[in-house]
Amino acid sequence: MDELMEILQELRPDVDFENETALITDGVLDSFDIVALVGELNDAFDIEIKPNNLVPDNFNSAKAMMALIEQLQDE
Amino acid sequence: MIFNITYTSLNFIFFVLATMLVYFLFPVKKYRWTVLLAASMFFYAVAGYKFAAFILFTTLSTYLIGLWIDRVSKNSKKLLKNKKGEWDREQKKNYKNKIKIQKRLIMTLALLLNFGILAFLKYYNFFAGSLNGVLGSFGIHFSAPTLELFLPLGISFYTFQSMGYIVDVYREKTEAQKNPLKLLLFVSFFPQIVQGPISIYDQLANQLFEGHDFDFTRMKHGMELILWGFFKKLVIADRAVIAINTVTASYDSYNTFGGTTLTFTILLYAVQLYADFSGGIDISRGVAQIFGIDMIDNFKRPYFSKSINEYWRRWHISLGGWLKNYLFYPIAMSNVFLNASKKMKNTRFGKTAAGAHVSKVLPTSVASLIVFLVVGVWHGASWKYVAFGLWNGVIIMLSILLQPLFDGAVDKLKIKRTNPLFVLFQMVRTFLVVLVGYVFDVAPSFKQGLKTIALFFTDQSVSRGIAEINTLGLRYRDYLVVLIGTVIVFVASVIQERHADTDVRTLLDKKPFILRFLLLYFGLMIVLVFGIYGSGYNAADFVYMQF
Repeated sequence: MDELMEILQELRPDVDFENETALITDGVLDSFDIVALVGELNDAFDIEIKPNNLVPDNFNSAKAMMALIEQLQDE
Repeated sequence: MIFNITYTSLNFIFFVLATMLVYFLFPVKKYRWTVLLAASMFFYAVAGYKFAAFILFTTLSTYLIGLWIDRVSKNSKKLLKNKKGEWDREQKKNYKNKIKIQKRLIMTLALLLNFGILAFLKYYNFFAGSLNGVLGSFGIHFSAPTLELFLPLGISFYTFQSMGYIVDVYREKTEAQKNPLKLLLFVSFFPQIVQGPISIYDQLANQLFEGHDFDFTRMKHGMELILWGFFKKLVIADRAVIAINTVTASYDSYNTFGGTTLTFTILLYAVQLYADFSGGIDISRGVAQIFGIDMIDNFKRPYFSKSINEYWRRWHISLGGWLKNYLFYPIAMSNVFLNASKKMKNTRFGKTAAGAHVSKVLPTSVASLIVFLVVGVWHGASWKYVAFGLWNGVIIMLSILLQPLFDGAVDKLKIKRTNPLFVLFQMVRTFLVVLVGYVFDVAPSFKQGLKTIALFFTDQSVSRGIAEINTLGLRYRDYLVVLIGTVIVFVASVIQERHADTDVRTLLDKKPFILRFLLLYFGLMIVLVFGIYGSGYNAADFVYMQF
């Protein structure tokens, strides 16, 4: 979780990732942020996020992202 | 067309009223969707009967291939479950990969078939013409025949929508629809068939299939939206387009106009395009709303955008969303793009501050450029549309790449990002960039587009402009109507912009009844009196028929 937080903070220092729960639904992160984020996450966690993982539910909060990462690591 | 049933015709109003009556009186709620299907078939038969075969083919191929992909997914899941404990990780992985390739091939078949038809009908003549030109310049006199091709009604929109569904089934975001008639309704739903919005299956389909009861508020809001759409379309757009058409009538006539008139025409075009397209979408969404169906909005006051990037998130939203989901993400997140970014990060350049930024945003910026090239080509088969796409794509690409530079400049100049003047500056700047893109939309050719931009700077003359603008087929009075109409749309947009969470119609509900009544009454009168109804229908005729 710490590693994820670090990546997120570096990507968008202006966003409160601890408490935000509608990052996608409210348009806090746009498609450009997402692509940059996917590249970082793939590298850091040795996973492969695919376009079909890009649903708001997976990226609306840091917690949801962590869940996705764990799910992909299991596969 | 057997008879006129365009969205702004009286026939269409009767058609919607009749459909409403049958829909809400239909006794079995579960089957009310069949009324919408029958209405959609009737609408398509009347408006584009010659080409019904095309939409039926797309529906049928989408239906069958959707089921096929779905079956492969489900069978593979079953098998994996059965082999649990029997297969090791490696075996599982290999099998999953095999299934993925198989599914991808089936999906590609659907995409090739359907985008193939669209591309052939839309671009064959452009390529045949270009090929003949190229061969001719080498002295080879071969001529690929040009064909008289017509585009079936709504082909772009229903093709995009059905292929989005196929990809969603492939991605297992949605299950394949088992009833072909339900899928046919999703593909051909009459309020959206002519010009969108391009809906996502998950968002729209269930709303179409569940039976809705009559609801007075929904009906009232739907009708208000339709009236607003009529106002934008008939009073503003259809009037402004007369002048624009005079300027762009032919290559030769376009060349006779001076820089002032062309500047005026581009501004008028910005008004006309927005009023026409967003007005049409309002009519579509209003009609759907009466039936209890919420279609996604296509416009969010795009001319108030502070960057081109934002503009494309607020203009033709459904197309933008489609391209983002099905083109931008797959390209930007492909291994090729992500690896290129990784490789660059490890070079000496990548270790510098600028290099780190560039390598990080490389996939996004190149993917954006490709998407905008597609947007350009989708607008039409001509080099000027390629220029239109590239202009927007390059600006976005540069703005991503140079972001740190701009941020640094703003900080250095100690400009507050929330300063209203700075925001206004950003909006005006964005609007100007949009206008340059429009030049290539309006000018008959790429070359004339470039020339037009030069004339903006070198050929401004008020007296010549006024003289020319008077010859464009609109009277002084008409320009005044367009101007007042634009101001009304502007004010409504500002109000909506300030109340992001509720729509203006809900705000209106809270006003006293008499005010609402007068507003709607005068709105209706304005549309009836000032609407442009084409030759053979003048406003007086139309008003008279109301009695």
